[in-house]
Amino acid sequence: MASVQLPLSLLKTAQGHPMLVELKNGETYNGHLVNCDTWMNIHLREVICTSKDGDRFWRMPECYIRGNTIKYLRVPDEVIDKVQEETKSRSDRKPPGVGRGRGRGREDGPGGRQPKGIGRGLDDGAKGPGGGRGRGGSGGRAGGNRGGGRGRA
Amino acid sequence: MSGRKETVLDLAKFVDKGVQVKLTGGRQVTGTLKGYDQLLNLVLDEAVEFLRDPDDPLKTTDQTRSLGLIVCRGTAVMLVSPTDGTDEIANPFIQPDGA
Amino acid sequence: MSGGPGLETLVDQTISVITNDGRNIVGILKGFDQATNIILDESHERVFSTKEGVQQLVLGLYIIRGDNISIVGELDEEIDSTLDWSKMRAHPLKPVIH
Repeated sequence: MASVQLPLSLLKTAQGHPMLVELKNGETYNGHLVNCDTWMNIHLREVICTSKDGDRFWRMPECYIRGNTIKYLRVPDEVIDKVQEETKSRSDRKPPGVGRGRGRGREDGPGGRQPKGIGRGLDDGAKGPGGGRGRGGSGGRAGGNRGGGRGRA
Repeated sequence: MSGRKETVLDLAKFVDKGVQVKLTGGRQVTGTLKGYDQLLNLVLDEAVEFLRDPDDPLKTTDQTRSLGLIVCRGTAVMLVSPTDGTDEIANPFIQPDGA
Repeated sequence: MSGGPGLETLVDQTISVITNDGRNIVGILKGFDQATNIILDESHERVFSTKEGVQQLVLGLYIIRGDNISIVGELDEEIDSTLDWSKMRAHPLKPVIH
């Protein structure tokens, strides 16, 4: 079924795109995905880190995040269409059952799609999922103070 | 080949440079990266730990303590980033609800 | 394909996910893996509160890590669409304590 995707393939396809990553500790990282691996470890560039309460912010040129600390990733909507195209062309190329099965068709070098000249990555963020609209709210929500921000009891 | 066994981040470029490391449990240290291995065990020199808010151990303060030469256990390393170029900034996002 | 979460039948359907931090996220299941990492498309979060109606926050395309998932459930869209969320009051879920 062409429509079923592996989360890690989607993530791989999202290379070069802006994304938002929330860690289990509630911190969020907005940046462009440079690379990821099968453990969901990720390397982001032009990153903005938001504290779990959404009250402090840091800019960092890049960061490495261990996969098992991730709670979720928010990726741009168009990436799912892209991954579907890639899957399709892959199955066109290779009939199932031929080859070694493990091929993922990695056409990309890690540096190939690094965002260049994005400056601070903020403007990009506004279009992508990294825009952080409502970030503050969700930050407060993630924190221990559930009541913050949104009047949750 | 980029994915499977090699780490996604080549730490070689951080050797002898300042790095910030966040550890599971909430500790946060900075130091000069002197060495590392593929399990992400790190050797940091002149390491400084950011002390945490006693009321909320997940929050760091600006108070620090010096740790000297340390090894960070790879399994506890959550996040690595260069200190160079890392700065606290004002809220870069528009916050409609001012939360 | 044994040992996986067995979500094959829910692919391309709307599902409701409860995460370890107590959030309820609703979206279309687009994929999953052995670790129950899931892809949710057109997802939104339902924020429950005792003081006001349920807020729906649009989240878009999400990858949720399996570690962080408590419950995945099928959603009956017919019933779901008859609910008046603005009148609904409920306590938010507490996070899972490990």
